[in-house]
Amino acid sequence: MIKITDLEKYYKTEELQTIALNKLSFEVKKGEFVAIMGPSGCGKSTLLNILGMLDDSDGGSFIFNGEEVIHYNERKRANIRKHNIGFVFQSFNLIDQLTVFENVELPLIYIGVKKAERKKKVYEVLEKMQIMHRRKHFPQQLSGGQQQRVAVARAVVNNPKLILADEPTGNLDSSNGNEVMDLLTELNKQGTTIIMVTHSEHDAKFSHRIIRMLDGQKVIENSLI
Amino acid sequence: MIRNYFKIAWRNLINNKGYSAINIGGLALGMAVVILIGLWIHDEITFDQNHKNYEDIAQVLVHKTANGKKRTRYTMPYPLGNELRAKYNEDFEHVVMSSFHSDNILSVGDKNISKRGGFMEPDALKMLSLNMVYGNWDGLKNPNSIVISQATAKVLFGGKNPIGELMTISNKLDVQVTGVYKNMPFNTTFNKLEFIAPWDLYVSSYTWVKESRDNNMWDNSSYQLYVQIANGSNMSSVSSKIKNVVYDHLPEYGKKSHPELFLFPMKDWHLRSNWKDGVNTGGFIQYVWLFGIIGLFVLLLACINFMNLSTAQSEKRAKEVGIRKSIGSSKRQLINQFLSESFLSVVFALILALILVVLVLPAFNQLADKQIRFPYNNLYFCLLSSGIVIATSLIAGSYPALYLSSFRPVNVLKGTFKTGNSASYFRKTLVVVQFTVSIILVVGTIVVEKQIDHSKNRPMGYEKNGLVMLEKVTEDYKGKYNVLRNDLKNSKAVIEMSESSSPLTDIWSSGGGFKWAGKSPDFIPNIGMIFIGHDYGKTIGWELTKGRDFSRAFPTDSTAFIFNEAAIKYMGIENPIGKIVRWNSQDHKIIGVVKDMLAESPFKPVKQAVYMIQYENTSWINLKLNPKKSTSASLALIETVLKKHAPNVPFEYQFVDQSFAKKFVAEERIRTLASIFALFAIFISCLGLFGLASFMAEQRSKEIGIRKVVGASIFNLWKLLSKDFVKLVMLACIIAIPIAYYGMRNWLNNYEYQTNISWWVFAISGIGALIITLLTVSFQAIKAAITNPIKSLKAE
Ligand SMILES: Nc1ncnc2c1ncn2[C@@H]1O[C@H](COP(=O)(O)OP(=O)(O)OP(=O)(O)O)[C@@H](O)[C@H]1O
Ligand SMILES: [Mg+2]
Repeated sequence: MIKITDLEKYYKTEELQTIALNKLSFEVKKGEFVAIMGPSGCGKSTLLNILGMLDDSDGGSFIFNGEEVIHYNERKRANIRKHNIGFVFQSFNLIDQLTVFENVELPLIYIGVKKAERKKKVYEVLEKMQIMHRRKHFPQQLSGGQQQRVAVARAVVNNPKLILADEPTGNLDSSNGNEVMDLLTELNKQGTTIIMVTHSEHDAKFSHRIIRMLDGQKVIENSLI
Repeated sequence: MIRNYFKIAWRNLINNKGYSAINIGGLALGMAVVILIGLWIHDEITFDQNHKNYEDIAQVLVHKTANGKKRTRYTMPYPLGNELRAKYNEDFEHVVMSSFHSDNILSVGDKNISKRGGFMEPDALKMLSLNMVYGNWDGLKNPNSIVISQATAKVLFGGKNPIGELMTISNKLDVQVTGVYKNMPFNTTFNKLEFIAPWDLYVSSYTWVKESRDNNMWDNSSYQLYVQIANGSNMSSVSSKIKNVVYDHLPEYGKKSHPELFLFPMKDWHLRSNWKDGVNTGGFIQYVWLFGIIGLFVLLLACINFMNLSTAQSEKRAKEVGIRKSIGSSKRQLINQFLSESFLSVVFALILALILVVLVLPAFNQLADKQIRFPYNNLYFCLLSSGIVIATSLIAGSYPALYLSSFRPVNVLKGTFKTGNSASYFRKTLVVVQFTVSIILVVGTIVVEKQIDHSKNRPMGYEKNGLVMLEKVTEDYKGKYNVLRNDLKNSKAVIEMSESSSPLTDIWSSGGGFKWAGKSPDFIPNIGMIFIGHDYGKTIGWELTKGRDFSRAFPTDSTAFIFNEAAIKYMGIENPIGKIVRWNSQDHKIIGVVKDMLAESPFKPVKQAVYMIQYENTSWINLKLNPKKSTSASLALIETVLKKHAPNVPFEYQFVDQSFAKKFVAEERIRTLASIFALFAIFISCLGLFGLASFMAEQRSKEIGIRKVVGASIFNLWKLLSKDFVKLVMLACIIAIPIAYYGMRNWLNNYEYQTNISWWVFAISGIGALIITLLTVSFQAIKAAITNPIKSLKAE
C-alpha cells in the first residue's frame, strides 16, 4: 500500500537547517496496523504529514497504491487524499461552529455525496462510534473522549483505505484512550490500513508492528505478531 | 499614566503594521474628504460676505402673475429707483439703479478689450464697500467717469496709476478713469464685474433708456435695482412696505399681471435663487446639504472601518485584557487605554489627511471651479480639525473600548473565551451600512450622469455643428448686413450668414399682447420673440414642418410670423398656415411652423417662440462655416473680413455647440464631485472589507485547515469565505435601492425634462458592488485557502 524510500525533509530557518527526515525508508502493506514511536522532535509528525500528502518531501520516493506520488501537484494529492485517507489528530481538530453531525458529514460533502446518502452514512458511523445521541451537540459540549470519537467517525465516514493517526490518545485519560484504541483495532479488522504515531508503549501494543525513529531515521522495527 | 497609555498604544500600532496602515489610511482618506467638503461648503456659504453691508443689501425683485402662475423677475422699471428714494427715504441707506451687466469693449488708444461691466448709480461703490486702490467711493459722481477693476487697469494701463486717463466704452462713450478697485473675491456675485460706469451716462447715451426716463415708463422693465436698507430697518418689513409700488403706478392694462415687489436679500442670492409660484424653493443650497451629508457619510464609513477592525482584533487583545484585569487594572483604565490608542491613530490620520488635502486642493479647485485656499492660519479651522479628531476618536474608539474592556478575565484566561455573537452582528451591521451608503452614492452618480446624457442628446431642432456666433457689442456693424454677408460668403469661409436678436442658445426677449381668432379672453400669452434676418433658417438649418421659410421674394414677409410647434400648441391654433395673429397693433400672417429648437435650458421643454424679420433689432451674427475648409482657416478669413468693416471691434466668437455644452457645467460639476465622493466611499468600504476579510480568514484559519484536511478544495473554501460577505452586500443592495430611488426621483423633479431611472441602474450598481466585494474578499480567501493546513493546525 505504501512504500517510501530514502525520504528526506529539511526545515530551513534563518540560522539553521533541521533535518526532520533523513533518508527514511519502509513499507506498509495493505491491512496492516503500524505504530510509529520515537522521542519528541524525531520527525514523526513530519512523516505522517508527508504520508497524508499534506506536505512536500525534499527527496526520495513515495509510492501510494502502486503510484509514484512524490511529484504530484497539490490538486492531484488533494484528490487522492479525500478519497483514500482519513486523519485523526491528538487535538481532535473539530470545527467549533459545526455540530457533531455536520463535522462528520463534511468529508462526504467535499466528495460530492448526495444528501440522503450522506445522512445514512453519517448515522451509520455515529451509531458505530456510539455518539448518535450527541449528533446535535457542538464540540465544546463534549468530553475529550467523545470529541476524539467524533474525529474518528469523521476520519472513517467515507471508508478510507488508510487512516493516519497522530497521537490519537495524547489528550485523553486511559479509559477514553482505550476506547479509541479499540475503535481503531476494530476498523483495522475490517480491512483499513492504519498508521499511528504514539508515545505510549501501551497503545503501540495494539498494532502489528512498531517502527522506532530517532533523528529522522528508522532505528529499529519490532513485529508484534 | 497618560504617557504609559500612549507608549503602549504606539507599540500596538507598530506591531500590527498592516492593520494600522489600513485603519489609519482609511480614516485619513475619510477625513480628507470631509475637510475638502467642509472647505467647499464654507466657500459656498460665505458667498458675498466680503461686502461690509452684506446683511443689509438686497435686490428688488418682482412676482408677476400670468395665467394663474406667478413668475419671478429681476427687471424693474426706470422710475422705481427715484420713487423709493423719494417716498421711502427713511427705509433705505442706498438705492442703486443698474443696467444688466454685459460684455463691453473698453478701448485705450488702439488697445481694445472686452470686459464685463455695467452702469450703476454712484452709491454702488459705497454700498458694495469696494476696496479702492486709486480714487474713492465718489468715483461715479461725474457722468463721464468710469471705475475699473485692478485686473482691467493692469491690462489697459500696465502698472501705473490710471486716474485721469481717457478711455472709450463700446467705441462710443468717452470716459475718464476716476477709480480702481480691487477685484472682488472669487466667491462673490460681482466677481466678474470689471468696470462700473455712471448710470447717468447710460441714460443720456441710449435713446431707449432716455425714453423710459422722459416718459416716466412704469410699464417698461429693463433695469436692475439694488438697495441697502437703512441701519436698524428690518428687511422683511421694508420688503412688504414696497410691495405695491409698481402696481400702484401701472395703467389699468398693466395691473393684470399684478406685480408684487419684494427684497431679495444678498445672503440668499447665491444659494437660494429658485422661485416657483412666488415661493423661494432654494437652489444651490441643496447641493451644499447634499455634499455635507455625503461628507459626513464618508467620515462615518471610515469610522465604521475603524470600529470594525478594532473589534475584529479584540480576540487577539482578549488575553491582554484578561491579564491586565487580573493584575488590577480597572475598567476605566482599560477604556482610557483603548481610547488613547484610537486617539493616536486619529491624530496620525488627521496629519495624513491634511497633507492629502494640501496636495489635492489645486485639482479639487479646478474640478469644483473654486479658488479655495488652504486655511493655514485660520483659528476656526484649527478648532474644527481638533473637533474632528476628538469626535472621530470618540465615535470610532468608544465601541471597541467599551467592548474590549468588558471581557471577563476568567473566561479569557481559561481559554474558553469566544467573542460573542453580538460583536459579529455589530461588525456585519457596519459592513451593511457601509455598502448601503456606497451603493446609494453609485446609483446617484449614474442617475446624474444619465440625466446629463439624456438632456445632451435631446433633438436640437437645428444643426449646431459648424455654427459660430458673434455678439454685435458695438454699433460698428450697423447697416452693413449685406456687404458683410457678401464678403464673408465670397471669402468661402462661410456658406451662410444671418442675424438674430438672441443667441442660438437663449431667448432674450418675450412679449405678450398677441391676439388670434379663438383665443380665450383670459389667456395672457407670453411668447419668446426672436427677431431675425431672411437667411436665419438657412444658416442654422431649421426644419419647417408646415408652410415655408421667409423669402425676399415676398415683400409682405416683413410682417409675417413663423412659430415653433410649441407655440402653435400653446396658442391652440389649428391649421395655422395663413391664419392671422395680431400683435403690436398690426396683423401678422403665419407663413410657417418650425420644429422646436432648443434654446434655453436643456432640462426644460422648449419655450413657445415666434420668429419675425426685423434687421434693426438684431444683436447676433450667426455664421455657418464652410465644411470644406478647416475651422482655423475659416476663422482667420472671417476675422480679416470683419476687421475690414469694423477695425476697432475685437474678434470674439463662440461655437454654438460649445456654448450649448456650457449649459451642463453645473450638472457636470455635480456629477464629477459626486462620482469622486462615491469612489472614495467605495474605496474606503473596500479597505474595511479587506481588513475584515483578512481578519476573518485569520480567525478561521484552523477551521480552514481542518476542512482542507478532510477534502475541501480551494474553490470550496473560497465559496465558504466569500459567502458571508456576499450575503451582507446583497442585503445592503436591498436597503440601498429604495432609498436611492426615492432620493434620485426627488432630485430629478428639479428638472422638467428628465430621464427615467431604469432598473439597470440598480442592477449595475448592485452587481458592481458584488464584484468589488468578491475581488476584495477573494484575495484573502484564496490566500487562506492555499495555505498549508498543517501550519494552522499545528498552532493548537
Ligand atoms: N515548520 C517547521 N519549521 C522548522 N522546523 C520544524 C518545523 N516543523 C517541525 N520542525 C522540526 O522538525 C523536527 C521534527 O518535527 P516533528 O513535528 O515531526 O516532531 P515529532 O516527532 O512529531 O515530535 P513530537 O513527538 O513532539 O510531536 C523537529 O526538530 C522540529 O523542531
Ligand atoms: Mg508530533
